[in-house]
Formats: sequence, C-alpha cells, structure tokens
Amino acid sequence: MSEKINRRSALRTMLYIAGGALILPACYRDSGRASIALVNISIDESDEMLLESLVEALIPADDTPGGKGLRLHLFVLKMVDDCHEPESQQQFVEGLKKFAIWSEEELSKLFIDAKSNEKTELMTRVEESGDESLLSFFKTTKRRTIQGYMNSQYVMTNLVKYEIAPGRYNGYFPMGNE
Amino acid sequence: MANIGGETRKERTFDVIVIGSGASGGWAAKEFTEKGLKTLVLERGRDVVHVKDYPTTNLYPYELEHKGEITYADKQENPVANRCYAYKEDTKHFFASDAAHPYIQDKEFDWIRGYQVGGKSLLWARQTQRWSEYDFEGPARDGFAVDWPIRYADIAPWYDHVERFVGIAGNKDGLDTLPDGDFLPAYPLNAVEDYFKKTVQQHYGSTRHVISARCAHLSEPKPIHIEQGRVKCQHRILCQRGCPFGGYFSSNSSTLPWAMKTGNLTLRPFSTVHSILYDQDQEKAVGVKVIDTDSGEEIDFFAKVIFVNASTLNTNQILMNSISARFPNGLGNDNGLLGQYIAFHNYTARITASYDGLQEYRTDGRNPAGGGYIPNFRNVHRQETDFLRGWAATFGASRQIIRNNDAVGEELKSNLTTGEWSNWKVHSHMMAETIPKEENRVWLDEKQTDKWGIPLLHISVEYAADDGQRRSDYYEHMADMFEKAGFQDIRTQDDGRRPGNDIHEMGGARMGHDPKTSLLNKWNQLHLCKNVYVTDGACMTSTATQNPTLTYMALTARAVDHAVSELKKRNL
Repeated sequence: MSEKINRRSALRTMLYIAGGALILPACYRDSGRASIALVNISIDESDEMLLESLVEALIPADDTPGGKGLRLHLFVLKMVDDCHEPESQQQFVEGLKKFAIWSEEELSKLFIDAKSNEKTELMTRVEESGDESLLSFFKTTKRRTIQGYMNSQYVMTNLVKYEIAPGRYNGYFPMGNE
Repeated sequence: MANIGGETRKERTFDVIVIGSGASGGWAAKEFTEKGLKTLVLERGRDVVHVKDYPTTNLYPYELEHKGEITYADKQENPVANRCYAYKEDTKHFFASDAAHPYIQDKEFDWIRGYQVGGKSLLWARQTQRWSEYDFEGPARDGFAVDWPIRYADIAPWYDHVERFVGIAGNKDGLDTLPDGDFLPAYPLNAVEDYFKKTVQQHYGSTRHVISARCAHLSEPKPIHIEQGRVKCQHRILCQRGCPFGGYFSSNSSTLPWAMKTGNLTLRPFSTVHSILYDQDQEKAVGVKVIDTDSGEEIDFFAKVIFVNASTLNTNQILMNSISARFPNGLGNDNGLLGQYIAFHNYTARITASYDGLQEYRTDGRNPAGGGYIPNFRNVHRQETDFLRGWAATFGASRQIIRNNDAVGEELKSNLTTGEWSNWKVHSHMMAETIPKEENRVWLDEKQTDKWGIPLLHISVEYAADDGQRRSDYYEHMADMFEKAGFQDIRTQDDGRRPGNDIHEMGGARMGHDPKTSLLNKWNQLHLCKNVYVTDGACMTSTATQNPTLTYMALTARAVDHAVSELKKRNL
C-alpha cells in the first residue's frame, strides 16, 4: 500500500513537472477535487469525469484523437472559469449537476458507464429535459468543445491546417483546386 | 535601457527633445538624428525592442491560453480597451490599461492608448492614404473650423519622402481625390472586389472608384527597407503582435532603430512628461519636466527645440499643464482655444451582403491590405448635400468554410473537418469626416490627478446631427451600389460605437494662419512659442476621411526640416 502511494506521489510529481501543473489525469487523484486550478467555479472529481465523458461523446476518438485524448474537458473548464460572466458560470455548474441526474434517470446508469451509442442518442434529446441550466450547460460545453477541438494542435497541424505565415494571397484561386 | 538621468544640467541637455515614440515621434527622431542633432525621445511607457519584445509574435492559436479570448476579469478592469477591435489575448500587452490610466468621460469616449515605445504604431490598421487638395481646401470653402495654412503642394514632397522609407503598397490610380504616391506593388483585389470595381465604373463613370487599399506593408522591399532590417510581408496578418519580419511599418521596426544607428538618439522610457518649461526672459521653451514612473522622481531635461508627439489628447494634456506666469492657461494658449475643436472619424456604419456569382473562385492566403477602398466622392467639387464634407469606405469580399455544428458524436466530428464553401460575403464600413466643433473639447480637472500628480483629463466629445446625416447618405449610396452589382441580402448596421473607438481623435491645437484663432502656424510651431512644434494628431485643423497617420508622419518630417533650418539661422 505504501509503495503504491509513493508511486502515485512520484508519478504526480512527474506529471506536475511535465504538464506545468495543469494536466493531471483524474485517475491519479484521491482528493476528490477537480484536476486543474479553478478560481471561480467549484466542481469535484466526479463532475470532471462526467465532463470528460461528455466531450469524448461529443467528439469521439476513432483513428484520430477525440475530446478525451485532447483533454477538451479541461479546456471547457478553463474557459468557463476565466472567460464567462458569473451568471453563466453558475448556470454551468448547476447545469452540470442536473445533467448528471437527468442522464442517470434517462439511462438508468451513470452517463460515464453508458455505451457510446446510448450517449449519442441522449445528447440528441437534451432539450427534452426542459431544464434551462441543463441546456445552457450542454450548449456551453458543446461550443467550447468544438472551439477547443478546432483550435487544438492536433487538428491545426493534421486536419484543418493553420498556416502562421502563408506568404501569399491569390484573389482568384480556382475552386476545387485544393 | 540604462537610467538616463544625468547629474548635471549639461548631461540633461540635448539639441532636441521629442515627446512620444509613436509613428510621428519616431519620425521626428529619425529626421533629427540623421541631420546630426542630439535627440532625446521621452516615452511614458516601457521599452519595446523590435522582435525581442514581441512575446506572442510566433505563437500558434493553440499556444494561447484562452485561444485569443479576453478573460472576464480583464473586461471588467479595462472596458474601454476591450471595445477596441484589436484588443485580444495576443495583443493586449500593447494597450494601456484603463484601470492604471484613468480619465474623466463627461461624455462617453473610448480613449484607446498604447503606452510603450512605439506607441500605437505597433497596433495601427496600417492604411495609408494621402490627403488631396480638396481636403486641405475644405474648411475655407465650406466655412468651418479655420483655413488650413497649408495646401497639398506644401506636403506632397514630404509624403514622397515618408512613403519611400515606410514602404506603401498601392496602385497609381490617378485620382484627384486621393493623390498617388511613391508606391510598392499593390495587393490586388480579389474576384468579387474586382467585379464590384467594374460595376461601379460602369454605372458611375469617373465619379466613384474602388481601388486596392493602400497600406504600409512591404509587398516588395527596396534596398532602403532591407537596410532597416525589414523584409517582405509574409501575409500573416498578426500585425498587432509586432512583426518579426518588419513586414509593416512601426517605429520599433523602422524609424527608432534607424535613429539609434546614428549614435545621436537617447531613448528614455518610463518618462511621463509633466509639462514643458517656459523661460520668460528668453521667451521660449527651455525643456520639459519629466516624472520617472519607476522612481517617482521629477527630472528636468533641456533642449533648443521641443517636438510634442504624445498622441492627440496627451499632447493637449501636456500643453494645458504647461503653466507659467506668461501662459497661465497652458502653453501658447492666449486665445483659450487649446483643447477645443476636437474631432474624430465616424466609423459607426457597416453594410453587408452576399453574392452568388463568381462561384468558381475563392481566395487563398491572406491580404495584408484587407481589400478595397472607396475614396470620398461626396461634396468633392461642389456642395451637393445638406451636410458638409463626406465619407470614404472600405470594401471587401470573402468566402468562408461553413461547418455544420448541429450533430453530435461521430457525425459532428466528421462535419467539423469537412466544410463547404459559402457564397461570397461582401462588407463595407464607413469612415466619415466629422466637423470640428467648439463644444467637443478636453480640459484638465482642477483637483484630481493621476498617480504622478498630473491633472486628469476631462473629455467631452460627441456625435452631432450631421454625423447621422453622413451615415444615412453612406447607407443610401452603398446600398445603391450593392444593388447595381446584384448583391443580395443587403443589410445596414449602426454599430453604436462611441467616439474615440475609431482611434482617430484629432485637433485641440489646430494649425491656422491667425494666432487669434489657432494654436499652430503652417510649420506646426506654436504661434506664441516658436521652438515648440506639435506634429501629432493634435495639430489637425480638420479630419478629412483618410486614415491620418501618414499625414502626421509627413507633417513631422516637414516640420523637422523647418526646425533644422531655423536652428541654423539661429531663429529658435
């Protein structure tokens, strides 16, 4: 047991060094707190795991990484914590809790334990929940997930390439000549 | 930058002091130091060394903590700066914070400031058009403000001089409303911009024009630009981060390092100018009082000539705070007009539409010029409307990739990377002249000061009825031109921005013939204190419709030439 804890603690130290203290996978924590430092919103480990599962369901991994692999749940949290106004932050946290309850009722199990087709199906009928903060939470999460995905290093270097210095401009570029 | 204080008065004495290091101050520094004069440039903010102090310049979007967005806390602290289109996560370090630099808005006014070496030349929109004879004749012909004491011919050679060094991309369009200059190759219009240009030509003949926007980018650098250490613009359009290529003109990439190479420049950052020191016996200014913003210490510097290039409203503030027995109301302000007749550009109107033609083309890469420019065509040769003067406009066309975000899961993921090209979207925004009005003014508060003891500036500037008339006229005529081009879904939009958000505030120390009705003469000297020159936006008698920076730079080079000649004749 003590060996295991030491290994955990050593691993954590290593991850702190490697990841600039920000990225620490949920499975290595035992505090029950969220894995990134949040100033304005307060969520716990189970909330974070749900969010991780949700961003992965929104953008699933196939032969390219998805929401979980790109850690988009941490991006969503960071943006909500730093860039949203207090009312929106409150709605996000409240909506997250409600999403957990609603999804468990609908699926008869935790969202994180559902199969991917069950999750997809549930996400298409979020509006049925009829809950304003739940819906707001879902929309915010989806918007920020898409933003984080499109602005991720993986997508910008492999799928929709971003050129920092094109060095050219053609105002008559023929269509279909990609 | 070492602390340049100087124990003795001799060590604190220069030939020239330039207050401010932005576009016009940088030009004063370049011209004076090239002519062998020992020049002190005072800058209230920190130093920004070309390339070295551009911390975000090479960052990819994913390397920005918030992908470019501004945090909620920052928006609360800096509401004014946040209303500037260029204020983003990657550029905000080049904007003065509202919180640290208070001013009093008697009427809502967005005062956008760049307090560092290079000033707003790091942040400007880089659009550079010459004024025409019609613009200089405007006030006299139409009976507003006062007559400009100069005409196009006075400034034309100085436009040439500045353009060659700065590097301006543009076409020789042969328009009397927008004189040609010494240009580098223009950035061409795209398929739909070109199409619009042709339909406008067809319907309006030689009365309306759409041209490639002229801008301060090196489309094809010449030896003079290479010598500055600048190379060809790489079409990044990340300009406001500072450009490591020197692809666009800034004081930091161009005039200041050039001046430094002469060995005649002393640059002193962290130096807020409190006031200009006037000596009653000599009947001239002898130096400036500076507050070192690091130590809080007051230091006096001395020179034969003082150039005030602090930016329009800061220049007004400094002159008003330069109180002496001879000038109890501010330096050179016997007529009491200092701080009055502040004008700006009205940028409140936009118009958008879509076009379903020319589907066979799109654009590739990015256009540093932004697209097209429509020079003012209203009231040019004679008075045609109920309002005075006119407006210029941008014109641009683009296609975007539309991605469907509706789905979730695998379908969403696939849709995000397989978009469809939209139809062409066209857009224009108005750049209207405003008429300088007596009631649009700035003044110093009698009690409240900033943390360096300088009285806070009151700003009371607002739109007037004629600004609304110009906007209606813009909507009417642009919509008409859009319809003739077959554009669809034409929408006008008053963006409700506050005065100042155009970042073209001008006047307060206007030029004119008569000391009774103006502060500056035709050489930009204070009528009543000839060794003080004002060559930033504060000198402007009227605003025209052009982006003003090129004109400030040309006026500065011209004024330096005059000052050097006057020094030789021992007239200053």
